[in-house]
Amino acid sequence: MNRNFLFPMVSAFLLILGTGVPSMAGEPTEQIKQTTDKILSILADPNLKNPARAEERKQSVRRTIDGRFDWEELARRSLAQYWAQRTPDEKEEFIQLYRELLARTYLNKVQDYSGETVRYEGENIESDYATVKVRILTAKNTEISVDYRVMKRRSNWLVYDISIEGVSLVNNYRSQFNSILQKSTYEELVKKLKEKSLTEKP
Amino acid sequence: MRKFDIELAVGVFLLVGIICLGYLSIRLGKMEVFGSRGYDIQAVFINSGGLKNGSDIVIAGVGVGRVKTITLENYQAQVVMNLPWDVKVQEDAIALIRTKGLIGEKYIEITPGGSDKLIPPGGKIRDTQPPVDLEELISKYIFGKIQ
Repeated sequence: MNRNFLFPMVSAFLLILGTGVPSMAGEPTEQIKQTTDKILSILADPNLKNPARAEERKQSVRRTIDGRFDWEELARRSLAQYWAQRTPDEKEEFIQLYRELLARTYLNKVQDYSGETVRYEGENIESDYATVKVRILTAKNTEISVDYRVMKRRSNWLVYDISIEGVSLVNNYRSQFNSILQKSTYEELVKKLKEKSLTEKP
Repeated sequence: MRKFDIELAVGVFLLVGIICLGYLSIRLGKMEVFGSRGYDIQAVFINSGGLKNGSDIVIAGVGVGRVKTITLENYQAQVVMNLPWDVKVQEDAIALIRTKGLIGEKYIEITPGGSDKLIPPGGKIRDTQPPVDLEELISKYIFGKIQ
């Protein structure tokens, strides 16, 4: 399951890349587009294409993504009913581990970017929540539909879930964490997450 | 006098029969006459994938409620679900349409969230996931290959 959706996840994670058609988009779309364009410009920067600066490139993509994602909300929603049982320190640790997990799983593929383009297909705002609909056109001419679920924090719209072809990232991790936590302990889950970030090289 | 007794007995018997029949058809047809119990919440799906009125609503594999109505709203499927009062749904819960087996009937699964805020009666599950369309995935795979 996880693997099958890796590719579209990767694509989505890069908030992909490519110039959207300028339109009368609302605030959430505008902000998602800004982040996407910024990442695109980092990836297209010829100075950073040098393999020696790959790490620097990755870090700056990561910083850009950090500014648009609400990691605490993502972690909270993924841990769901187990979130409340954690102490503030554990929560803080978990957010970092979760962020690391996602970054390591998807960000490594940044180098694989091969000219995917993005079309912004509209948005749906309901008070402080919104969905930004995006279509990614891959080099193979396959279309992938991606929905960014965003919520308003002050003047910023931050991503709290991504759904690719209708499959939600949060729900995927929620059911995985759930089944781990039902069989073993929270400590075991943290151990697993730590192991995973050690084995998968950045 | 005797004749009157028999007629009364037949009448009562018939009446009881009709009431039983009525009760049975209401139960079997899963109709609700005296208003539904519990409370309603709604969810909007891009695609309801053949979900029907009366389809099960499941949390952790346990059937908790039923789909009350499905209507088309702005070219999306708006589903009203009826849940018992003791089943609370958090504001960050996710509603998914799933299939029993590979080609079985559709049902709604709710994965509970961790928020303190609960969805009030008449409220809405914001995050939904439509059924995964195997045909669509296969066709995407095929067309992806040809290019």
